[in-house]
Amino acid sequence: MWKQSVLVCAAVAMAAGAAHAADSWGLANETVTEIEATVVDIACVLNKDCPPNCGDGKRQLGLLTTDGKLRLAAKGQSVFAGAVRELLPHCGKVVFADGLLIQDPALTIFMVQNLRLTKADKLQPATAFDTDWAKQNGKANASDWFRADPRVKKVIEEDGVFGIKGLKPAPTP
Amino acid sequence: MMRRMFKICTLAALVAYGGGAAQAERVRVTGEVVDTWCALTGIMFAAGTAHHQCAVWCAAGGIPVSIKTSDGAYYVVLRIEDDDSSATSDTFVKIQSHEVSVDGELHERDGVKYLFVSKVADDKGVVNLTHSDFGIVPFGN
Repeated sequence: MWKQSVLVCAAVAMAAGAAHAADSWGLANETVTEIEATVVDIACVLNKDCPPNCGDGKRQLGLLTTDGKLRLAAKGQSVFAGAVRELLPHCGKVVFADGLLIQDPALTIFMVQNLRLTKADKLQPATAFDTDWAKQNGKANASDWFRADPRVKKVIEEDGVFGIKGLKPAPTP
Repeated sequence: MMRRMFKICTLAALVAYGGGAAQAERVRVTGEVVDTWCALTGIMFAAGTAHHQCAVWCAAGGIPVSIKTSDGAYYVVLRIEDDDSSATSDTFVKIQSHEVSVDGELHERDGVKYLFVSKVADDKGVVNLTHSDFGIVPFGN
């Protein structure tokens, strides 16, 4: 009876542990995982400089786990975009972040692929960046936001694709 | 009950760290400003002129900007002089791919070197000319 109970508990624990939907990218040092953590303003945690609402979207955000690990949320699901837009609405709150923990010897970062507020909730893809960008700039170019973004266009027009004024790509034959 | 326990544990962790009790150290760092995601993961070639456009996209998209030193260390930049808008500011976008020497305050925490730059001592601009070997990465010309 006891043995059966232990086996059932172990199976439940394994199922709970595996309840994530993140996709592997096949990266070195990656772990597919879901972490339960509080959304924090990293600069605030490190140096006590704490503006309201985690910096209102201007600052890099992190995930502070219950065992005190501070994870840099470096990437969301939107192409070429970070995770600030995803996490900002939850500043100071506990979330379940599903994604990739990349523990490279040089740097540890977290890619947020999906989010939910409780374990009972359905995971939501971390694509708030796309939604916000489309609200500000229109839906037409949202999937290619990085080419259509007015600020990006201005920087590339000023400095060129190589970052050196006047240096241009060779014409394609 | 479990959720309450988690909140208590998180609060305890925040209090334990005093909202930032990590020891800071004054440092000078020299290296190339990079898009942290592409450079660290190796999903594409991510250095110098070849990757400059993508680095601009990523900084504009809010991906953390780092200084990568010649020994492969990454320093995630949270402030550049008076500008602490590390996820949105033009300062962080315009400096992509530049070779810089900066003075600042280093906080190491859980596998990350966080840098608050107090002064950009030297900015050589983009000097790592990789485009002749790699073209424009990604997507080409």
